[in-house]
Amino acid sequence: MRYFYLSLFFLLGTSLSSETVLLKGGLVHSGDGNSAIIQDILLSDNIIKAVGDNLIIDGNTRVIELDGLPVTPGLISPLSNLGIVEINALDVTRDDESEVLTAGFSIFNAFNPHSTGIPWNRSNGITSAISTPSPSRASVFGLGSYFILDGSLEIKGLKDIAMFGRIGATYGSRAETLSMLDSLLDIGRMLGTTPIQEILELSLVEKLDIQSQDIFALGKVVNEGLPFVLETNRAVDILQALALKEKYNLNLVLVSIEEAPMVLDRIKESDTPVIIDPMDNIPNSFDELGSSLELGRILDQAGIKIMFSTQRSHNYHLMRQGSGNAVAHGMSYESAIAGMTKVVADTFKLGNRGSIESGKFADIIVWDGDPLEPSSFPKIVMIDGVIQDLSSRSSRLTERYTNKEDKPSSYKH
Amino acid sequence: MKKWLFIFASFIVLVGCSDSFNVSFSDNESINPGIDDAFNSTYKSMDSQPVLLKSANIYDGLGGEFINYDLLLSDGKIIEINKSIDSNNALIIDASDKWITPGIIDIHSHMGVYSAPGVSTSSDGNEATSPVTAEVWAEHSLWTQDPQFALALKGGVTAFHVLPGSANLFGGRGATFKNISKNTIQDMKFPGAPHSLKMACGENPKRVYGNRRQAPSTRMGNMAGYRSAWIDAVEYTDGMNEDNIDRRPKRDLAMDTLMGVLNDEILIQNHCYRAEEMAMMIELSREFNYKITAFHHAVEAYKIADLLADEGICAAMWADWWGFKHEAYDMVQANIAIIDQARNGTGCAIVHSDDAVGIQHLNQEAAKAMAAGNRAGFDISKAHAMRWITSNPAKAAGILNKTGSIEIDKDADVVLWTGNPFSVYSRAEKVFIDGALVFDMHNPKIQPITDFDLGIIQPQNNRVE
Repeated sequence: MRYFYLSLFFLLGTSLSSETVLLKGGLVHSGDGNSAIIQDILLSDNIIKAVGDNLIIDGNTRVIELDGLPVTPGLISPLSNLGIVEINALDVTRDDESEVLTAGFSIFNAFNPHSTGIPWNRSNGITSAISTPSPSRASVFGLGSYFILDGSLEIKGLKDIAMFGRIGATYGSRAETLSMLDSLLDIGRMLGTTPIQEILELSLVEKLDIQSQDIFALGKVVNEGLPFVLETNRAVDILQALALKEKYNLNLVLVSIEEAPMVLDRIKESDTPVIIDPMDNIPNSFDELGSSLELGRILDQAGIKIMFSTQRSHNYHLMRQGSGNAVAHGMSYESAIAGMTKVVADTFKLGNRGSIESGKFADIIVWDGDPLEPSSFPKIVMIDGVIQDLSSRSSRLTERYTNKEDKPSSYKH
Repeated sequence: MKKWLFIFASFIVLVGCSDSFNVSFSDNESINPGIDDAFNSTYKSMDSQPVLLKSANIYDGLGGEFINYDLLLSDGKIIEINKSIDSNNALIIDASDKWITPGIIDIHSHMGVYSAPGVSTSSDGNEATSPVTAEVWAEHSLWTQDPQFALALKGGVTAFHVLPGSANLFGGRGATFKNISKNTIQDMKFPGAPHSLKMACGENPKRVYGNRRQAPSTRMGNMAGYRSAWIDAVEYTDGMNEDNIDRRPKRDLAMDTLMGVLNDEILIQNHCYRAEEMAMMIELSREFNYKITAFHHAVEAYKIADLLADEGICAAMWADWWGFKHEAYDMVQANIAIIDQARNGTGCAIVHSDDAVGIQHLNQEAAKAMAAGNRAGFDISKAHAMRWITSNPAKAAGILNKTGSIEIDKDADVVLWTGNPFSVYSRAEKVFIDGALVFDMHNPKIQPITDFDLGIIQPQNNRVE
């Protein structure tokens, strides 16, 4: 009911990309880590043209009064399966695993802009996301890509922007995992000096059935600074990851790192950004015994750049709740906002997105309340300056089942 | 990244609740007199002194809100709620600008049976060796040193119902516990709380057994499995009612459990996602004349909200979990609110966790569900939504006469929050169980540390300080 009016309003109100819009008087969290202030945002041609007070506008500018509502950049999920997994338990709806490739596995061409997770997460404030392959038996399992979540078949984003891998308790010994990882990175390094045909004939490459795509991808990690996103938890494993970073000069991003407080100085010295799930304080494995709700605060106070993952697939917007809990335990508010926006964009070089600044693409959320409160929702979601429809399968089902007309639900539409 | 997690989660689904239960019990009475007078609770509350919480804001868990009231706890009970209470022997706690709620209750937990760390040797929640295992009791798997209990306590959880998983049509009995780690399972059991029987619809049983080329491999196979078991149970129950003891059948643990349901002594907690399956389970309960207490997970409960309200069946739901399997595809965030508001607000909605992280934040889950409901056009207050994590789960667990609300003479299971519990920034500051202070965020001595936590990373330290 109310859903219906909201979505109708925004449908009619959808701005054309050429239209000039002034978002007037919002409490603007720019994403850069500074405190929010009441400001106006002027945008046209998909771009934020100006941010400030008393911006000069002409008569054709559409003014949207925000009356102090919180405004943030569109949220960016750094670790999702959006567009590549529809239903986890149904393999035929999953495109996140390869049986042939490891490091060279790219999910990019599998991305489905019509996946139901996209409008759902978009209506909850996620405007773009990195989608990643899922862990396999290999320590390195493939390349993630970045997608703008406007649902268009003209897929916008960046292909193969980061490599994903893992160290820790899985199969066999982590000593072997570390040794293999070292060998794989070394193979990537050889690519600079050795013909691919010679590398393919190496005994380890043949033994592990490594393909040329894998080798080229590893080459990008070692020789071209492609971000290498490594999940690990045990304190000593984090040190092993940092040693690999130093040895190969990796552009390392650490994920999960539940025992990071024990090696805090080393992470800080290495200037390594991290992705954490602030709500996961369960010692789920013997790698995660140090797990605690204090992780966000401890990393933040050390000045480490933090991004957020979520425990539950399909609801990447719940990183708002996660970062809210981190703030409840002492993380700074603006670090939480930055961790869902600008830190992701900077870490993964996502182009002109992730903050509310002149010249950036206008991915903007206007919230009905504090964006870190799980009970808040977006009122306006803007991608590339275009106001998005907030409907989803979920909102359609809600409309149908709050409609009290006396007829079969299949006729309520 | 967490594929295993979803497989795991899909194994461990279930529950249900109802208004029309009339289960009476006392502390010393067995659950099922004459049948399984064993494993009764030996719980004893911790030592306490009278406590007077001054100038608090209180949600009573029944829909009431009291601003700037005093609350007196003594002898393990709630003694008085009033504008200004004096006491000359109580410990006085200034609760101004803070909030008090009943202890949070989770109707769907697997703590202790899927303990942390989640390793194969602690995977004790699904006796997935036969589709009908009504003979097993979840409590017999419980690991008393599971570190997850203490984490839930920090989230304000004072009682929780532990269920077997959902691999089987009949997964076994569930039991309710007070959230104080003790060294025996019986020392943790909620005195006098009834057992439940977990039943499971849908994808999980048919997948587990279908993959082994045995029944059930379809939803119709699931139904046949339930009906066959109930036919046996009716015959067994009739046999046990024979006056001539010699003509009674030999005791059968599975049949004891089903008979307990038919005799209204054991509550059905039914894992079920889809609307038409829940409706079928209701029809099944009519066929064999038993009562369903609650549907658990119930992602499609909103599609049959009026039916559930008419039947007096609760639905225990997540605020927003979806997509991990096909039967969890039609999620709406207003599900909990729609159940609550059905038939002029007579529905019984519960926010459950089924998850060791979720159980720590049931207040936040309720906040999301309330906000989604209000966005969908309802007008639900915080005081009302508090029922979803207190009195309604207490009702579904059959313990509402003991706990689940701030009422005179109830167990003093109470949480003092740093701020309004519907805010993400509020934390449980003090937790009382039976009037004893069992958690204090400001006092490390009053924070439980399990044996597991002791010296496991650094010998001189605890797992998490």
